[in-house]
This record gives sequence, structure tokens and C-alpha cells, in this order.
Amino acid sequence: MTASNRPAFVSGTGLSGWELFLIAMLAVIVLANSALSPQFLSLNNQINLFQLSIEKVIVALVMTFIIINAEIDLSVGSMMGLAACAFGWMFQSGVPAYAAIIIVIGIGIAGGTVNAFFITRVGLPSLVVTLGTLIAFRGLARVLVEDRGITDFPEWFDRLGQQGLIGPFPLSLILFAALFVICWLLLQRTGFGRKTYVIGTNRDVADFAGIDSGAHKARLFIASGAVSALAGLFYAARVGAVRGDVALGFELDIITIVLLGGVSIFGGVGTMAGTLLAILIVLNLRNGMALLNITGHIQTGVIGLLLIGSVLAPRLKLSTLLPIISGRKGDAR
Amino acid sequence: MTAPVLALRSVSKRFGMTRALDDMSIDLHAGEVHAIVGENGAGKSTMIKIMTGIHQPSSGHIEVGGTRTVVDGPHAARDAGIAAMYQEPMVFPDLDVAENIFISSTREGVLQNTRDLHRRADALIARIGMQVDVDRIASGLTLAEQQAVEIARALSQDVRVLIMDEPTASLSAHEAAQLRGIAAKLAAQGVAVVYISHRLEEVFEIAHRVTVIRDGQHISTQSIDAVTPESMIADMVGREVGNYFEKTPSTATDNVILSVRGLGLAGVFRDISFDLRRGEILCMAGLIGARRTDVALSLFGITPADSGEIAYKGQPIDVRSPAQAIRAGIAYVSEDRRKLGLAMPMSVRSNISLATLGHFLSPAGFLDRRRERETAEAYRDRLNIKTPDVDAAVDMLSGGNQQKVMLANWMAMQPDLLIFDEPTRGIDVGAKAEVHALIREFVAQDGAALVISSDLPEVLAMADRILVMREGEQMAIIDHADATQEYIMALATGQAALQKAS
Repeated sequence: MTASNRPAFVSGTGLSGWELFLIAMLAVIVLANSALSPQFLSLNNQINLFQLSIEKVIVALVMTFIIINAEIDLSVGSMMGLAACAFGWMFQSGVPAYAAIIIVIGIGIAGGTVNAFFITRVGLPSLVVTLGTLIAFRGLARVLVEDRGITDFPEWFDRLGQQGLIGPFPLSLILFAALFVICWLLLQRTGFGRKTYVIGTNRDVADFAGIDSGAHKARLFIASGAVSALAGLFYAARVGAVRGDVALGFELDIITIVLLGGVSIFGGVGTMAGTLLAILIVLNLRNGMALLNITGHIQTGVIGLLLIGSVLAPRLKLSTLLPIISGRKGDAR
Repeated sequence: MTAPVLALRSVSKRFGMTRALDDMSIDLHAGEVHAIVGENGAGKSTMIKIMTGIHQPSSGHIEVGGTRTVVDGPHAARDAGIAAMYQEPMVFPDLDVAENIFISSTREGVLQNTRDLHRRADALIARIGMQVDVDRIASGLTLAEQQAVEIARALSQDVRVLIMDEPTASLSAHEAAQLRGIAAKLAAQGVAVVYISHRLEEVFEIAHRVTVIRDGQHISTQSIDAVTPESMIADMVGREVGNYFEKTPSTATDNVILSVRGLGLAGVFRDISFDLRRGEILCMAGLIGARRTDVALSLFGITPADSGEIAYKGQPIDVRSPAQAIRAGIAYVSEDRRKLGLAMPMSVRSNISLATLGHFLSPAGFLDRRRERETAEAYRDRLNIKTPDVDAAVDMLSGGNQQKVMLANWMAMQPDLLIFDEPTRGIDVGAKAEVHALIREFVAQDGAALVISSDLPEVLAMADRILVMREGEQMAIIDHADATQEYIMALATGQAALQKAS
């Protein structure tokens, strides 16, 4: 994709065409689901939807920054697993739970720092580095808990993920809402957000304008590690048990949400509102399919097709399709 | 007289609005070394790309051996016996010399007779008079040896026209001599050699005929005996463009803002020394490969110099990063606005605040978008940037207006020293004059400008003094009063001694 066929970037003013498209898609899904079940639109159901995917949706907020920065973090799912397992292991070894929580966030920051070091200091591609740490963090997680499951967390910890803290809203959802507002302000209203777009659009231009793109990227990867660790704790609290395969493969669901939200994998394009819309679409679509008794694997397949379709949709032009259909190669120049 | 092996007949090539080649005709004969010379941007590379089938003529045609032929791609060029080699040879580093020579004639699935391959490679290497072991792995070869491999590869495909584009630009004197020997030998064997070089002394050494092109047009083709360096340079720069722009009066003061002494970067440039005063425009002239941009990048902290000293506002300074340069009040406007200067898909507003983002932030880091917009609109009006809205994406604007957005970004920084690399490349004459006026206005308000330009009329119109570089070396600093296009070109091509004597 060349720069010229990207949508023009207008920071934070109004909704882009893509976001309007997502809103329309969401409306269709919500209407269809409401027709299927009167319970669908109830507050409890909607809260429940968020709770079931809370780990993924909070990490998607940070992933939005990283992909707009033209980078990727594949290690988030493994970091969640490592965080959950480290918490379980420490708890079992007698470390007080609150201390374990703080140490786990520290592990997230440390893991993010490892990623940041290899990406910004050594200069390796983030795809390779975080693929490596995806394997490494998962390996560590399995070493910690071996193949046991760890359960019997203190009751207050389990409650964090399940019970309403303010009215019907559990802590995790309140934290998501707060995190969303912070991320939205950060991306659309601050100099940090502007730098995120400039670096993702063209890193050389950023460097020539005196923007320290290495430091910027480092901050993002460290934040990604910390938030992933937090998400891992939420997982442990929600499920009440940890095993070595906690959050296995979550990174792909998270990246799918972000791309569906209109963030360009080539960087420089996307908004926090788009990511929120994509979160709502994926959660409600899965819920609707569950109401129809469609199994989880097929649900995943549908979401995958939705991603391909939505990435393809804005570029559907007869002139680009014809050569593909007739099997000829397009003009390389 | 036999038909030329290759000829262009009234070939024109347009790219959008720009005309890269205009009614170009040229004959290439077997057995001659035909030099093609011209300034940067004269149309040499477009001509090569037409000959090798990378571009198609917008009008006119190509004749091969007297027959009208369509060369519509590298394969067609190879079939017609046309090959080109460039400054950077293309070799596969993990293959040996013989394999490299026969790379494009290798058939998949057919077992190769290695001994036969090596025997034939030996014969080709011998034919160009080089001594290279054909068993050697290419990664260990010198640049000159790699070029020999490339020439042998062309010969293996029965080349009749060999185009050499600046082949000696990165070679040592000894290697360059060796390569010129090969070119002469090939011509003696009946190949038509097209030799493109900025080094005029080379042209006089090996060319039989020389064609001068300028602004995409054919100026002259003459036997080398009929031309002198002076007449060639006069043809290259052209006389009628002398008063293209009026020289603006100098506003230079005595207050030196930048003092550079013996600045060097190993392998790139060396021993650059000059003073720049407030109110002054110092232009750096030279040909492509003169390393002017590299000097600018060192001053701006992108690639810090490794020798010499810089004093700025009377203090020694060691610029290690663009951020540091910007803090010190040094701006660098890049020659490549698409790749290095502007975030093309982003808005005019965001691009005007690129380097000054910090000025628009609250203590908590929030962007004051209203003030940012007001600033962008102020610069839009002041620089006469034609855009429907400061929220429009920069890539929707014309080249000249993009250039002004880039300038606005750096003007907004209110620099003391503005380094401007090719300020008017690819923009129309009206916008050029506006950019010139803006630079003069900037220095008149106590700024100082270092302008890199390959456009000699522009240099003469703007510069108070001119620093001429050639292959990483400072040839001279000349006052505007002493400068002519011919003199600058003579310095830039290494013919200064000759020019001064006349």
C-alpha cells in the first residue's frame, strides 16, 4: 500500500468513513442479536460480555499504539500467561497476594524492557523479537507451574474479577473504562499521540524533526508488557485458576481487533474510537453466534473472515480484482 | 556507412507534467566509445532507461541495427544485445565468479557442466584483460573486479551495446584506469560503449565521440578532437539561462554564526572549512556524488562528523542528534520531502508543527490544537501555501506547495541557521522565485542560510558566496562577483586549473 491511497489523516476531528462503517456493522449485529434474544441488550449481559474478554480488550488499547507506530507485539499472550503463572507460583510459595501482584507488574515491565531493548537498541524487527519472547515467556510460564493447575486463591482476589465493585460494574471493567479514556486522550489529544502517528507514518521524517523515535517505541513496548501482566492477573482472578497455557494464542485475537478497528498494519493510521468499535463488534458478534449455538471454533473462523473482508472492502475496485480473477499479474510498477 | 547498432529517433519522455527527454536523437556505432555528459537532471538516466527498456518513449522510437524495434523490458533489451552496468555492480555474493557470469543463462533443472562453465568464464575474463580466478566467491572481490564480472556477464550474452553509467565514481584511480582500459578494449572488439561520467578528464582519455545533453535535449554530438573542456562545459550549462533569476543584493553582516574547520567523515568527505555570517547565503555547488548533503547531515547531527571542529555562535559545538541541533537553532530542510521531509498522509497542520511540537504542548503534554491551527494558518498566509484547509493531507498539494509546507515547519522553529538542501527541486518557476524570496527574507532578518543547490542559475541568483565541492573535497569558495556557471562547473568537474588559466 502506498501512502497515496491511505485515507487522509485528520487527528481527532469527527469520525472517519471507516468508523461510520464500523458503527453500521455494530448496529446490524446488535439488532440481529436483540431479535434473537430479549436478554441480549440487558446490562448484565453486556457487562458479562466484557468480563469474558477483559484481558484481550485492555491489551488491545495498548496494541493500538504499537501498530500505529508500525510495530507489532506478539508476546502479549505469553506475557499474560507468564504473569498469571508467576502469580500462582508465588501465591503457592507463600508470598502475600498483594506483594505478588506488584512483583507481577514488575515482571511485565521487565519483559517489555527486554522487547524494547532488542527492538530499539539492537535494531531488530519487532516481529522477530516478540516472536522470540512469545516463545520465551510461555516457556517460563510452563516452567513455573509445570503441568499443575494452581487454584485456591484468596476469596477477595477471585471477587476482583467477578463481583460488582461499583454497582454492577466489576473492577476489571472500571479499569478498562479508565484505561480507554486515558488511551484515547493520549492518542488523540497529546503530543505523545501525535508523535505516535508521525513515527508510524515515516520514522525518518520523525528522526529528522528531532523526535526520539527509539525512546518512544521503548515506552510503548514497556507499557505493553505492564498492561499484559495486569491482564494476566485479571485472567487469574476471573477464572480462579492458572495453568501453563493461560491466554494461549490471545495475541492473534488482540491484533485482529485492532486491525478490524481500522488501524493500518503499515502504521500511521487508526484511532482509539475505531479500536473500541471493533471490540464491541467482536464481543457482540461472538455473543450472537453463541445464542445461535454456533461453536467457538466456528465463531473464530467467522471473525477471521470478517477481518479479511473488512481489510479488503475499502479497496474493492473492479480494476484491481480483474487481474486476480483472470490469473494475470498486475503491473508491478 | 553502416547502420548504427542502436539509435534513438526523436525520443521524448514525459512524466506527468515534466518532460525528461525532449526530441532526443542519438546514434551509437559499433567500435566507438561514446561519452554522454550533462548536468544533474539533464536526462541521462532517463535516456539509459529508455535504451534498456525500463521506460517506454512517450513519442519517437528506437532502432536496433537500422530496424525499428520496440524495447519493452529488460529481456527485450538483452535480446537486442543491450546491457547496462551501474556504479554499484550487481553480483551475488555467495556464488563464484563463473556462476555469477552465467547467472541469467543458467537453466533450472539442467545439470551444469562446471568444468565447461569455468572454461568459458576464463575465456570471457581473458577477453577483457583482467586476471580474476573464476572459482573465487564473489563476496571477496574488489569493486573493480565485481564490475569486470558484470562486464563479462554482458559479454556472455553477446552484447553489442554496453552502457556504463558512472562506472568509475566509486573506484580508486588505479581501478578506474583499469576499467577504462576494459572499455577501450571492448570498443576495439566492436562493441558500442556508452560511457557516462562526470569526470571530464576520463571522457577526453577514452571517448571517440561525445554527446552533450541539457534539460532533456540533445545539444551537440562531436568527435572528441573537435571539442575542448571549455566548449563542453559551455554546452553543458547553456548560455541563454544566465539571467534566469535576478541576483538579490547581499545582506551579509560581519557576525560569524557558524565556523567550520577541517570537518571530515571517514570515507565520505574531508577537510571542509568555511565561515557563515548572519545575513549571508552560502551556497554549496557540485555534482551528484560531491557529498554536499553528507556535510549538511553532519552539521545537523544525523551522521556526526569524526574529525574537525564546528563553532556555532562563538562556542564550540558537537552536534550528535537532530534534537540537539534543533535546540541550538539549526534547521535542516531535506532535499527529499517525500521520504525525509514530510509525513505525506498527515495534515498540513501536523506537518507545520513537526519540529516545534513542544511549543504547542501544555505542561501535562496536551496539544493546544487551536494554537497549532492558528500557527499553521498564519504560515499558510505568509508563505502563500495553496491548500483548501490546513487539515488537508499534504500529499494532496502540488510539489511547490509541499515544499512551502516543509519550509513553514522549519521557519516555525525560528532558527538562526537554516540548511536548505535543493530548495527548489521539482517545483515550478513561480514557486522557485517565491522560495528564493523567502530565503532572502529569512537571512535579511539576521538569519544565516546554507543552501545546497545543483541548479546553477539558482546558485548565481541567491548565493553571496559559493562553496564548490567535488567527490567529498572542498574545491574552492568563490565570491558571487567572481562566479560564473562555467567556472563553478569547471571546479565541480575538476577542470579548474585549466579554466583559471584561460
